[in-house]
Amino acid sequence: MQAKPRRLTKRTTVIIAVVIVAIVIASGGGTYYYINYVAQRPITCTLPSGRDAIKVGFTISLTGTFNVEGAKSLAGIQAAACWINNNGGVTVNGKTYNIVLNYYDDQSSSAQISTLYTKIITQDNAQFLLAPYSSGLTGAAAPLAEQYNLVMLSHGGSSDSIWTKGYKNVFGILSPASTYFNNAVDWLKANHPGDKLAFLHADDSFSAAASGAASKYAVQQGLSVVYNASYPATSQDLSTQLTAAQGAGADDLLGGGHFADGVKIVQQLSPVGWKPKFISLLVAVTEPQFRQQLGDSANLVTGPSQWETTVTYSPATAQTSGIPWYGPTESQFVDYYSKQANAGSPTYHSGEAGAAIIVLADAIQKANSLDSTAVRQTISSLHIMTFFGQFQVDSTGKQSGHSMVLVQWQNGGLVVVAPAIVAASGTVKYPYAGS
Amino acid sequence: MVAAELVVRDLVFGLLLGCVFSVVAHGLNIIWGVVKVVNIAHGEFIMLGAYGAYFLNLFAGLTPLEAAPVDAAIGLLVGYAFYYTFLHRELRDKETITLQSEMVTLAATFGLSLFVSNLAIIFFTGNPVGVNYNPGTLQFGYLRVPLAALYVAILSVLIITGTWLFLERTFIGSTIRAYAQDVTATELVGANPAKVASLATALGFAVTMAGGALLTVWVPVGINPLMGALYAPISFVIVVLGGPGKMWGSLVGGLTLGVVIDLLQAFTTAQIAYAAAFLILIPVLVFRPEGLLK
Amino acid sequence: MMIEKPGLTLYGLFIVMALLAAAALLLGVAVSSILVLLLIYAALAYSINFITGMIGYVDFGHVLFMAIGSYALATLVSYYGANPLLGVGLGALLGLVFALGIGLVILRFRGVYFAIATVVLVLAAYNIVLQFPQLGAGGEIIVNLTFQPLATYFTIWTIVLIEIVLTYYVNRSRIGFGIRAIRNEEDAASSVGVSPQTLKLTGYMLGGLFGGAGGAVYAWSISGVTAGPAFDFTFSLLMLAMIIIGGVGTSIGPLLGAVVVYIPSYFLLTTVAQAQPLIIGLLVIIMALFLPDGIVGLLRRSDERLRLVLE
Repeated sequence: MQAKPRRLTKRTTVIIAVVIVAIVIASGGGTYYYINYVAQRPITCTLPSGRDAIKVGFTISLTGTFNVEGAKSLAGIQAAACWINNNGGVTVNGKTYNIVLNYYDDQSSSAQISTLYTKIITQDNAQFLLAPYSSGLTGAAAPLAEQYNLVMLSHGGSSDSIWTKGYKNVFGILSPASTYFNNAVDWLKANHPGDKLAFLHADDSFSAAASGAASKYAVQQGLSVVYNASYPATSQDLSTQLTAAQGAGADDLLGGGHFADGVKIVQQLSPVGWKPKFISLLVAVTEPQFRQQLGDSANLVTGPSQWETTVTYSPATAQTSGIPWYGPTESQFVDYYSKQANAGSPTYHSGEAGAAIIVLADAIQKANSLDSTAVRQTISSLHIMTFFGQFQVDSTGKQSGHSMVLVQWQNGGLVVVAPAIVAASGTVKYPYAGS
Repeated sequence: MVAAELVVRDLVFGLLLGCVFSVVAHGLNIIWGVVKVVNIAHGEFIMLGAYGAYFLNLFAGLTPLEAAPVDAAIGLLVGYAFYYTFLHRELRDKETITLQSEMVTLAATFGLSLFVSNLAIIFFTGNPVGVNYNPGTLQFGYLRVPLAALYVAILSVLIITGTWLFLERTFIGSTIRAYAQDVTATELVGANPAKVASLATALGFAVTMAGGALLTVWVPVGINPLMGALYAPISFVIVVLGGPGKMWGSLVGGLTLGVVIDLLQAFTTAQIAYAAAFLILIPVLVFRPEGLLK
Repeated sequence: MMIEKPGLTLYGLFIVMALLAAAALLLGVAVSSILVLLLIYAALAYSINFITGMIGYVDFGHVLFMAIGSYALATLVSYYGANPLLGVGLGALLGLVFALGIGLVILRFRGVYFAIATVVLVLAAYNIVLQFPQLGAGGEIIVNLTFQPLATYFTIWTIVLIEIVLTYYVNRSRIGFGIRAIRNEEDAASSVGVSPQTLKLTGYMLGGLFGGAGGAVYAWSISGVTAGPAFDFTFSLLMLAMIIIGGVGTSIGPLLGAVVVYIPSYFLLTTVAQAQPLIIGLLVIIMALFLPDGIVGLLRRSDERLRLVLE
């Protein structure tokens, strides 16, 4: 582009500059005002006074692809922190502390992770870290925890690859991706071993890990896998893949990706004209919006879940198993969640994120120190039960004590259907009926 | 289904998808052909059209087919606003669009694209939404065709035909075509170039937003503020394939792209199908830059 | 080669670079971690300046070279355990090679068609990368290196320095005349004895070279690469915004644009995440419509003395 052949007076230049600056400030201020005073904000709870603070820093996806899951996670974190602060806080060396949260919106984009976590660590001086939501973003954030030697708890990143990198500081709260579909495959093996399976998943590290491990596990168990494909995240039309899976003779469909993919798959089944007998999809199924958007076609769709509000972990269960208990009970957590957060009802994202804070607080107290190395060592050998389930990590930091559940939409409600010991009264209903 | 049946199925779906792609790109084609401006923010207006259909469905219960004309009306207004904000200064005293103006409009519309998509994220949140419209399916032997896709394809072709008729058979239409060929000559016969250009722009935006509404049928849970980033490049490829300014070019380009994307997925992975669909542009530009149509 | 002696602009830029070096050495890790991203942005801005700023061909798909560089470094370091500097070198080399190959085909297209072709290539490349499991599931490769903030910083610092000198000399030399001829009227340029095709290709290759280098350092600094974000058009748009705001084709423009785009966004990021692209979009619209030659152009036109000094 060339310059327009005009001379500008100083006055004009100044006016232009002022106008530009004014517009920038106005638009920045306007959006700031909107976000902070007009848009709905989750309620933060009041901190008991007279205590010092332990700062826990993290980013969470409030906008972008993961904003649904991110909002649920944040609300869970806030609920857990609030419970701790109202129930004695965290005691270290005789002093009591509040848990204070220091977080930013990462826009579901890894481009921001590095900048934001650096800021959180070097400028905000967070003492402990939580990872962002999703395996991809967790993978981007983990190196920073290593670089600055701070403990980081992963609540939303389950991809096994996170724990193959030799990180000392990263610990997982949730069951790894490779175990997500174990309950579904086990049930099929036990009840319909002759079924042919189709795997269709999104092309990102988490979905690929979960689906890949599941198809291998299915084959190991003697089940027949007739279709196995992936699609790029930008795909809008999955009808070709679904038709191909149907054409391969598949009875059951497993896979998916995050929230939007799961809904897309179920919605495109009907126009394609395929009614699998069993459907199990990642992430999407446990969201109430799944049912809202799909209506009756959501019925009898199953999905893996890290946790539901109906699972039966309690101080009594802990005692019977001989494991120490820490933190709120299910109902206490749900209660705090509903009072403190503006985010609908809790899903497993809320539970896993809340559990991260609970485990961290317990580890700090047991270590009786705010030093990263001490806390890190405590976490490595920690074995407790919380409302979320058991917590115990292996030598790489990967979660080994926690068990996943399988849930299914039945009569408009989400029911835990497997494994049998945790499923209060639910059993898998088969086959899937469509809409 | 056996392989041959799969191929036929994908061909049919590719054509149906292609029709919607055509109307989505058609607005860009009109503006590019008449005013010679490429609107980088094209995708954002498709997105707004889709959200329009979503809200009309949410609050007024309108189906995407009914929402399309409403979106078109909104698009007309938006188009006029766009013309006077962005294009008027550049086109006003010029006979043809210069390289300088071309770069200016490219840059300005790209800034607009950033601005609109991020504003949409703030107001709509990143949460993908969708319109539930399923009037059933039609069975042709082993082929199951969703009526929604069929209706939308028909409406898309009607829109393209309609604009063609408008440009060919009405007086205003011929004035616009004259402007597209030679601005000065149009002025000489007494037409006001600003009025002609603004009308063409408005028409283009109307078609774009209507296209966005019709697109919602194919993206049941894909309406999100960043969807423009996918449909803008698709539209560019379609217009170049068909030839900018050639009205039926949108249909040719759209059908080609739709068929390539869907048909290839019968033989190979989705990733390769999409890559190929986009790469078609390069050989076309090398060997037949004026487009596939004569 | 050079028409005149180096002017104040070059010395001014050297001073700024020296300050940046001092800041990293003296002010600690926190500051250098903020500045390293600034330098990466500046490097990318200078790289797109070669093809878009100077020659006038709008490269919307410049992020392609960034991605090439990122994947080059990630694969070399992650699979072969190589030194990251080798990764940067490979990124630059691959960027150059791809630019040559691609440029030979698409630089024949005029203006808008070139721009669209670059967009199409990015989308195709994204899908192609996903096709290869060697490039990680979801195209994700994690780079596990020990933390070397100063090494990363001074690598990109050196790259930016080289780019500044190169940009300055090109602008001042006979090649610069040729380039400006293309921007004004491409057909006339060939009749003056300048081969537009060679110049365009050179500009595009320089863009690819430094884009690849910048992308490699970026992957180094965030310890990995993932397909979705690597091919994200937001980077292309940011690079374009930087040179449009700073002043296309100038020597100061890209650095100035990088500062204007990056520093406020760093602070805005923590309030409203969308504010940065929103404001940048607005700035670009205003600049494109009213100030096509950017801040540098604005300053040059407002004061006679500045016009002689700023370039």
